[in-house]
Amino acid sequence: MKHLPKRSNLKSAPVIHTPESLLRHPRQLAQTMWHDLLASRELAWRLMVRDISAQYRQSFLGFLWAFIPPVVLAVGFTLASESEIFQPGATDIPYPAYVMFSTSLWQSFVEAVNGPVQAVVQAKPMLARVNFPREAVILAKVGEVFFNFTIKFVLIVGLFVWYQIPVTWTVLLAPVALVHLILLGTLVGTLLSPFGVLYQDVSRGLTMVTSFWLFLTPVVYPVPEQGTFGTLVRFNPVTPLLVTVRELATTGIISQPVGFWLVSIVTILGLFVTWVAFRLAMPYVVERVSS
Amino acid sequence: MTLMPLPTQVPDLEPDDRPVVISVEQISKKFCRKLRQSLAYGVQDIATDLVGGTRQSDRLRKDEFWALKDISFQLRRGDALGLVGTNGAGKSTLLRIISGLIKPDTGRVVIQGRIAPLIALGAGFNPILTGRENIYANMSILGLSTREIKQRFDEVIEFAEISDAIDSPVQTYSSGMAARLGFACAIYVEPEILLIDEVLAVGDTRFKAKCYRRLYELRRQGVAFILVNHNPQAILNTCDEAIYLNKGTLVSSGASEAIVTQYEKDLFYNGAERHPNQMIFPAKAAADSMGMDIRLLCFRNAQGEILPSLIVGKPMSFCVGVYSHDRFSGVTLHLKISKVGGEDNIGTVLYLSGENDNHFFDVPQGEHEIQLQLPYLGLIPGSYTMLVNLKRDSIYTFDVVASFRFTVLSDGKINQCRFYQPRSWELVKTSPDNTLH
Repeated sequence: MKHLPKRSNLKSAPVIHTPESLLRHPRQLAQTMWHDLLASRELAWRLMVRDISAQYRQSFLGFLWAFIPPVVLAVGFTLASESEIFQPGATDIPYPAYVMFSTSLWQSFVEAVNGPVQAVVQAKPMLARVNFPREAVILAKVGEVFFNFTIKFVLIVGLFVWYQIPVTWTVLLAPVALVHLILLGTLVGTLLSPFGVLYQDVSRGLTMVTSFWLFLTPVVYPVPEQGTFGTLVRFNPVTPLLVTVRELATTGIISQPVGFWLVSIVTILGLFVTWVAFRLAMPYVVERVSS
Repeated sequence: MTLMPLPTQVPDLEPDDRPVVISVEQISKKFCRKLRQSLAYGVQDIATDLVGGTRQSDRLRKDEFWALKDISFQLRRGDALGLVGTNGAGKSTLLRIISGLIKPDTGRVVIQGRIAPLIALGAGFNPILTGRENIYANMSILGLSTREIKQRFDEVIEFAEISDAIDSPVQTYSSGMAARLGFACAIYVEPEILLIDEVLAVGDTRFKAKCYRRLYELRRQGVAFILVNHNPQAILNTCDEAIYLNKGTLVSSGASEAIVTQYEKDLFYNGAERHPNQMIFPAKAAADSMGMDIRLLCFRNAQGEILPSLIVGKPMSFCVGVYSHDRFSGVTLHLKISKVGGEDNIGTVLYLSGENDNHFFDVPQGEHEIQLQLPYLGLIPGSYTMLVNLKRDSIYTFDVVASFRFTVLSDGKINQCRFYQPRSWELVKTSPDNTLH
């Protein structure tokens, strides 16, 4: 036998399972969270590679799926606006490009929301049997969202070239805002994921909520200035993030800096709280699903 | 050449010197039988935990019951502990608490060392991906780094015997191949503690024997394990100590032989008496009987006396005392004898069937004894367990005894043998034209 179990492991700190809430020992909680985050990087990578390769191996159109929805949506809305059924108002960049670019961003956000819920539900048998760092499942999905976005990026570059959209140096900052947008989605998804395992209502509700949410986000229309609708759109936390990514990539003039920073800070703090909540909730969830 | 007998215990350490790897202290766990209520309790528990409140987990809420109640035990380095109990006794729940999947409701578990659960063979296998990709994914889930997986990769393939199919999708594998791959992945994680839940029921007999051999090797290296198995024989084979759970409470713990006997007695043989190499069963009411009942299992010598000890090579008869409630024709016996304990004697060593030998009896109503005459007892010294099946023709079963245990002793001459060879030695004078030239 070449690999004897390492004796040194025996001397490492013991793991203790008790009924107490982990919040009673915040120091220990923080330590294990940090440790698990480090430990889950490699696993998250594996899971991501596994999911992406399985996904593309079982698909005929493969990468095209990243392009098809924005293109279809853009064609539909462009036709609708040309025949004046729907009047989106003036946009900074040509309307079809506006729709395609915004839809790509919105899609990434929706993927980030749905990702954790789907991932945790799919991983149910695994979660119920092996005690691995649960963060890995979420991280793998976030990685997948970024991977999918890089494919969409090809479409976006194509758009900018085709419509000859001018860019400023601020385009270099756009990825930062994009990361914030995806993190907001991850926050929502991770918060819902434990409940998604318990109740199917969560997955069903999400489909409905995200389509309504799209309606309230300036994806196919520019930011409205007035009216109840305008207020609703302004209070939508996705608006400042999505608008900022778009503006950084095109005009370089940020129209909602305050909103952007407010949402970003809340997202990053909220993400940490969500992480703790996710960790606390998972054992209770696992106990309610059979192995 | 000398053959060293294999040690059955970690040799160089006294039991008490070995470090404790698992300490289970007063563990309880409650569950709820109603799904809707259970989910609501789940949400309630999460909410309480999130605000840092006390769950009062030691009290039962409406519709809850104790799936485990006040379980305590310790496992030391190199120990093998068997968990026996009927379905729903709480064996799997206990393993899930130890592996940290779910929280106990009272008490605590202290773990020292890496745990690998053999509960989840092939956790995370994706049927679309190849065996190679799945090994990486699966072993990552079980907690290995890519470097560690690379080191073990060849051994895993070799153990699983799938080198030809390693680059084919797992969905093209037979169920046996997938199971072998899963087992190989889990066992090459090389943990300090292995939790094994019923998984050895996979694969063919030969692979099963290989798995047990591997477990035996690991054990000699000091890996501790907990084995859950419905087949008490597997527990006897691998574990020195056992715990008997019933409806969430610990009925008894101790040497596996005694615990398994108690468990089997409760399970199958209510009121049966066990003596060395002999079992006596109480009479059954006609309503409970399938027509004919086994009342006695024993060995007799040529004089018809019951043998308290069996010696290899001696002539004897195996006797099955039956009580027949009616007259039956076509009565026959099936006997399956397996060796208990040891490294490579897993599985059936002898299968005798009256049907194969074309021996069917006409049994009138009343007490009778079916005797199987053995001119020599050919089994080598050791402990055995026998499955006795009293049948009519090949389909109908009157009565079954799942595990009749007996011990064969040495005659002092048999050593390092797999079977007893009846023999005689002679010197014969040969004539010249009979020689080989």
